[in-house]
Amino acid sequence: MNELNRRQFLKNASAATLAALAAGAPVTSFLSSCNSNKITSKADTVILLWMAGGMSHTDTFDPKKFTPFSKGMAANSVLSTFPQVPTALDGIYFSDGLAAIGKVMDKGTLVRSYTAADMGFILHSRHQYHWHSCYRPPQSVLAPHLGAWIAKHLGPVNPVIPAFIDIGQRFTLGEGEELKAFHSAGFLGNEFGPFVIPNPSAGLDGVRPPAGMSNTRFEKRNQLYDELIKQSPTGEFGSDYQKESLKKSMEQAYMLLKSPESQAFDLSKEPKASYDIYNTGKFGLGCLMARRLTEQGARFISVTTEYEPFKGWDTHENGNTRIKDMKQQIDAPIAQLVKDLERTGRLERTLIIVASEFSRDMMVEGRPDAKVQEQVEQPDIISDMKNYGMHRHFTDGGSMLLFGGGIKKGQVYGKTADERPCKTIEKPIVIDQVHQTIYHALGIPEDAHYVVEKRPFYTTPDGLGKAAMDLFG
Amino acid sequence: MANTKTNSILHFKKKYIIGLIIFFICVTAPFFLFHIQAAPLIEAPAKDGAFWLWNFLGRLHPIAVHFPVGLILFAAILELFTIKDFNSTLRPGINLLVIAGVLSAVISAILGLLLARNGDYSKTILALHQWIGIATASLGVLALFLLLRNQKSSQPWLIKAYRGLMFFTAVGVTAAGHFGGSLTHGSDYLAETIPWSEGYKPVEKKSIDFATFKNDTSKLTPKQEAELNVQVRAILAHNCYKCHGADKVKGDLRLDMKDMIFKGGEHGAVLIAGNPMESEIVKRITLQGNDKKAMPSKDKRLSAEEISTIKFWIQKGAPWPVNSAKDILFRVAVLAPRNPPLPPATATFTNPVDLFVNDYFKKNKIAWPQPVDDRTYLRRIYLDIIGLLPSPEKEAAFIANKNIGKRGAEVRQLLNQKDDYAAHWISFWNDALRNDYTGTGYITGGRYNITDWLYASLKNNKPYNQFVQELISPTDESKGFIEGIQWRGVVNASQRTEMQAAQNVSQVFLGLNLKCASCHNSFVSNWKLSDAYAFANIFSDSSLEINRCDKPTGRYTGPAMLWKQLGTIDSAAKTIVKRKQLSENITKPENGRLYRTIVNRVWNQLLGRGLVEPVDVMDNEPWSQDLLDWMAYNFVENKCDIKELIYLIATSNTYQLPSVGFKNPNKIGAPDFVFTGMLRKRLSAEQFADAVSYVIEPVFGDSSLGYNYYKKLKPVEKPLFTRASLVVNNPLLIALGRPSRETVSTGRESQANLLQALELTKGDKLNGALKKGAENWKKKYKNGDVIIKQLYNRGLGRMPTQKEFEVAKKAIGDNPDIGAIQDLFWAVVLLPEFQIIY
Repeated sequence: MNELNRRQFLKNASAATLAALAAGAPVTSFLSSCNSNKITSKADTVILLWMAGGMSHTDTFDPKKFTPFSKGMAANSVLSTFPQVPTALDGIYFSDGLAAIGKVMDKGTLVRSYTAADMGFILHSRHQYHWHSCYRPPQSVLAPHLGAWIAKHLGPVNPVIPAFIDIGQRFTLGEGEELKAFHSAGFLGNEFGPFVIPNPSAGLDGVRPPAGMSNTRFEKRNQLYDELIKQSPTGEFGSDYQKESLKKSMEQAYMLLKSPESQAFDLSKEPKASYDIYNTGKFGLGCLMARRLTEQGARFISVTTEYEPFKGWDTHENGNTRIKDMKQQIDAPIAQLVKDLERTGRLERTLIIVASEFSRDMMVEGRPDAKVQEQVEQPDIISDMKNYGMHRHFTDGGSMLLFGGGIKKGQVYGKTADERPCKTIEKPIVIDQVHQTIYHALGIPEDAHYVVEKRPFYTTPDGLGKAAMDLFG
Repeated sequence: MANTKTNSILHFKKKYIIGLIIFFICVTAPFFLFHIQAAPLIEAPAKDGAFWLWNFLGRLHPIAVHFPVGLILFAAILELFTIKDFNSTLRPGINLLVIAGVLSAVISAILGLLLARNGDYSKTILALHQWIGIATASLGVLALFLLLRNQKSSQPWLIKAYRGLMFFTAVGVTAAGHFGGSLTHGSDYLAETIPWSEGYKPVEKKSIDFATFKNDTSKLTPKQEAELNVQVRAILAHNCYKCHGADKVKGDLRLDMKDMIFKGGEHGAVLIAGNPMESEIVKRITLQGNDKKAMPSKDKRLSAEEISTIKFWIQKGAPWPVNSAKDILFRVAVLAPRNPPLPPATATFTNPVDLFVNDYFKKNKIAWPQPVDDRTYLRRIYLDIIGLLPSPEKEAAFIANKNIGKRGAEVRQLLNQKDDYAAHWISFWNDALRNDYTGTGYITGGRYNITDWLYASLKNNKPYNQFVQELISPTDESKGFIEGIQWRGVVNASQRTEMQAAQNVSQVFLGLNLKCASCHNSFVSNWKLSDAYAFANIFSDSSLEINRCDKPTGRYTGPAMLWKQLGTIDSAAKTIVKRKQLSENITKPENGRLYRTIVNRVWNQLLGRGLVEPVDVMDNEPWSQDLLDWMAYNFVENKCDIKELIYLIATSNTYQLPSVGFKNPNKIGAPDFVFTGMLRKRLSAEQFADAVSYVIEPVFGDSSLGYNYYKKLKPVEKPLFTRASLVVNNPLLIALGRPSRETVSTGRESQANLLQALELTKGDKLNGALKKGAENWKKKYKNGDVIIKQLYNRGLGRMPTQKEFEVAKKAIGDNPDIGAIQDLFWAVVLLPEFQIIY
């Protein structure tokens, strides 16, 4: 099985040659681990629920001692700004406002030891780039997004649902260019890039005829196109790949827009009771769309709370107040998504991940042993409520949730210190392991790679990443 | 009683010390002998030419260090056991341990210093290890001194001080030992066996079926052998050269050269051709990771695929064709320019391009077909030179013109439309120079826009040598290319801006890939790690520390050109001076590489495929060396005038040959490619958007501009619509293949895909423009017939055929509504005939 025989070698060699010859154009050839390290997949679909902007672990899934606000309190004494609530797991508590997710924690694994990279002076989008591509920007080759690797390697589950769907992020906000840089298939080619749905409420717009065009008219337009192609005298030139690929792709787009599965993008088709549970805002509706798409056969879906500098989880001030809102946005929909998928039996083959680029702390910017330039004014003595919250960017600890896709149920993995700095002290998990864990669940081997400019480019740098096997049941 | 003992020890002190030294020599002697026999000065002397003995003694450090670790630790433990009774019966023994331990610590420290001078170690860990080691030896000496003082006259404070120091020494020796271990075995040596640690690497079991090999007796062709050899060398380079290469020859084994790999190492042959299972190298790479003999010893294990490849290679007799990489797969192109004699002019051909192609056609038994008709030709030169479609009026006049020289005159005319020309070619250069109006880096001031400089350079047809000089030795306006993209925060060694500059300059201007050599000595070319760093040092005020595969080596090199014959770089000079020297050296006429590269790129833009393919690998063989050489030589003679080069090509019969379509795009780059005419090209994102803007309705308004050149134009010079090349990147252009320009890009994808088709089918930009166009056309034209004819004439440069007219007419009728017109627009602009340059 693991052997490389002559035929395979020749196949590879010619692929490599072609890849080399195609360099210059960003076309690449598949040269990945043919038949080697076959892994049985545990999941078909991945849903990434992205807490954009740096979600503090001590105010969410890894609460520490609660110190209520009082004028004149010492900042250094504050570890958590919320009381704790119990979860389905004995002795495990979440921060207040996350009770619903707490109740489904017996269905998944709580990781309390995610440790972000130390990349110096903090730029959110740079850490997000690293989280989503596993490579630190800049790179000499455009690094593909996690979803693009998966789209390239496995293709769509259902041919009419794009393999990589990105819900909830607009690219017209601050750091939009940096966000675009990793919401990309990179050197794998546009074909594997994200199908972007900035607003789930308008999700159907992405898969229905242009605004103002009826279905009948859409059909007629397509028919006209077909007939004009048939009548076109260019047939005398014979065929070429440009023409053939254009015709084929146009046909595919038409099929997608016509397909009944595209109704999954239409949230108005959801029963009201269910819609209302999810409808905590854009993120909640994104979760609903993710569920509906999963039911129709999706491969990789990312739903984000949306990154915008100083908004969402990026709390530079009023952390306590704002995190209350953020929790209200995510608690019900995430819990409901897990429950709905479990009820229909899909959770078994769907891997859900809740994650953020790094955590936050009231005092430490960066990590305790490598502090970086501070970006938030934090008075030592707090007299104003706006200074009460986790406002600095903390990379040395963080929480992540995983459900389904073979993940162990009811597990708590890793630990952070109970006193400041609340950094990872047991079983640290880094991004390479997260990626490989996702790939492992999907049956993609660790050494998967493609050749670009005659060099192998691996899913994780140098192919060194290892799946965190303890996370699986 | 205690006194007597103390006295007796004092009495015997000298004897003991002499005895210990003798003991030490006896114990280490076998190591000396063994090493001298097994490795008699085999290691090349250190690079700095140090005396061999120092290197030799240095390598005894790893042996010697075991003494202080064992002795001092044990002494400290005994001190703990006798903490209540300093003068216990163990005292004489402890004292001996301390004396021997401290003595060996001092010796180890000295040997260590010798080793550090030429070892190849991680700098930070080395520094830690070194200073802790020296501190420990010093602490030990101090402790020993106190101990001896105490022997003379025992005092409680002396005992306390001695013991305190002794414990510190023990801690120190542990720490020094730990970092020493990290140096030799890698810092994750232990961690990778611990399941919950970050660096955990579970030992994999690999089952391999050897039957497939045994049954396979077929012979590889020489080319396949060469390819296999290169694959194997790729694996060796990435995994083994670090310790078994030019820089370091562990176990007397080098795997980077044919002679060396077949010669084997200190334990004999490493491979037996034809017998992978008996070959030591296969045994070593298949051992479990925790086995001491397993290779690679420090880094990741080889993948199953890599192991299979190496086995397959040995099975096939370990082919290593002489100069395989260079001669068969990885040819090295000649640097010097060459002016091949022109083949004699014929009755039909006068253009030098045609004379060379005529030779080529004769050799390949290809007959010259008729050149394309006026309509096709006009469309080609419009799109290729200014990126726009010709108007129906222009076309009619051109066809009616009976002047023999009309095609050349038209090319000249287009080249003189300075703004149209610049607005077209700026897309190509933006891609290549990684210049965009928006993008990463700008937000933190880590990137500079060069559009003003670039647009003006193209508009004024700046000579190419000057163009290159101004990019390499830039003004504030043109520095964006060489300064690279700097993200906020700490950046990896191979991606610092100096290395980006080295990689980008060599790729764009010289058509060569330094990215391999920026990490390790390249195995597919002659470029070495030190070459890449020397080139990068030109862009840095101080020499960069050489990093191999992202690990610092502690070595440095001066700045240098990639080809020494092109000139020198003053290593003491500031970056600004060094860049100036580079800019002058690199643009010398002697640098045939620079000029062949640009000529090939322009040829590629016009003919759809370079003479050399891929255009970034200029060491590959051109399909006509004479033509490439002559054009490059002629280009320099013509003062590096790009417009003259375009004129030369676009007026040739060669350019006017009928286009050629490829069903399989992979065949375009294949080695057996034969040129028979221009390859069919798909409109670029900008050409398509501009064509829609021209035929139907402007797709972009001024508000989309990323670079506002209107400000500088007189009203009469203003184009009819906003050119797509100058707008901020957007979903329509991205879907059609405009790259993000985060990295250098010298070619576009012309294959369609689903995401692109979705954007064309329903995207706002295109469908919005079509809708608005339909509203205007409805007002402008009186009926459906006129609309259909106008659309075909403007869009395709011809009237619809009868059948086409009927289909279109059926769809829109006599008095079409706006929706129907919009849909006809859509169907026509998506026709392959509209999208492809024939």
